[in-house]
Amino acid sequence: MEALALIQAYTGIGIGLIIGLGAAGACIGIGIMCASFLEGAARQPEMIPALQGKVFLLLGLIDASFIIGVGLAMMFAFANPLLSVVAQ
Amino acid sequence: MSTLENQQSARQMYRNMLRWQVLATLGVALLAGILAGSSASISALLGGTSVIAGAWTAAKIAEKGQSNMQATAALLNLLKAEAVKILLIAIILFVIFKFYHSLVPFALIAGLAAAALFSGAALAKAQTEV
Repeated sequence: MEALALIQAYTGIGIGLIIGLGAAGACIGIGIMCASFLEGAARQPEMIPALQGKVFLLLGLIDASFIIGVGLAMMFAFANPLLSVVAQ
Repeated sequence: MSTLENQQSARQMYRNMLRWQVLATLGVALLAGILAGSSASISALLGGTSVIAGAWTAAKIAEKGQSNMQATAALLNLLKAEAVKILLIAIILFVIFKFYHSLVPFALIAGLAAAALFSGAALAKAQTEV
C-alpha cells in the first residue's frame, strides 16, 4: 500500500516536470523564433507573407516535443505502467 | 511575389504538412498492427489523428490571417492557431485515454510522435525561397 502511494506521488511529480519543462523549452524556442520573425519583418516588410508559412511549420516543430510530453504525461496519469508492477 | 501567390504557396505548404502527417501515422499504425495487433494499430491511428486534427484546425486559422501585412497581427494569428492546436490535441488525448479501454499507450505515443515530428518535413518542399 505504501509502495503504491509512493509510486503515485513520484508519478505526480514526474508529470509536473514533463509538462513544466516541456512548456518552458517550447516557450523559449517560440520566443527566439518570434523575435527573429519580427526582426526580419522590420527589415523587409514585403517578406511577411512568405515568412508566415515557414513560421507556422517551425512553430509546429518546436511544439512537437511539448505535444509528445503531454501524451507521455497523460499515459502516466491514466495508464501508469509502473503501477502494474505493484499489482502483480 | 504577389499576395495571392503567397497565399497559394502557404496553402500548398500546409497541405504538404498534412500529407506527411497522414503518411507517418499510417506507417506507424501498420507497423504497430504487425507487431502488436489491431488494438495497437487503432491506438496509433488515434494518436496520429489527434495531431492531424489539431494541425488541420491550426492551418485553417493560419490561412485566414495569411493576408496580414502587419508583423504583429500575423504573429498573433499564428500564435492563436498554435494555441488552438495544442488545446485541441490535449482534449482529444484526454477523451481517448478516458474512454478507449483497449488502448495500447506506447502505440498511441508512437503515432502521436510520428505525426508531430513529420509536420516539419513539409519545410523541405517549401517552394518559396527566403
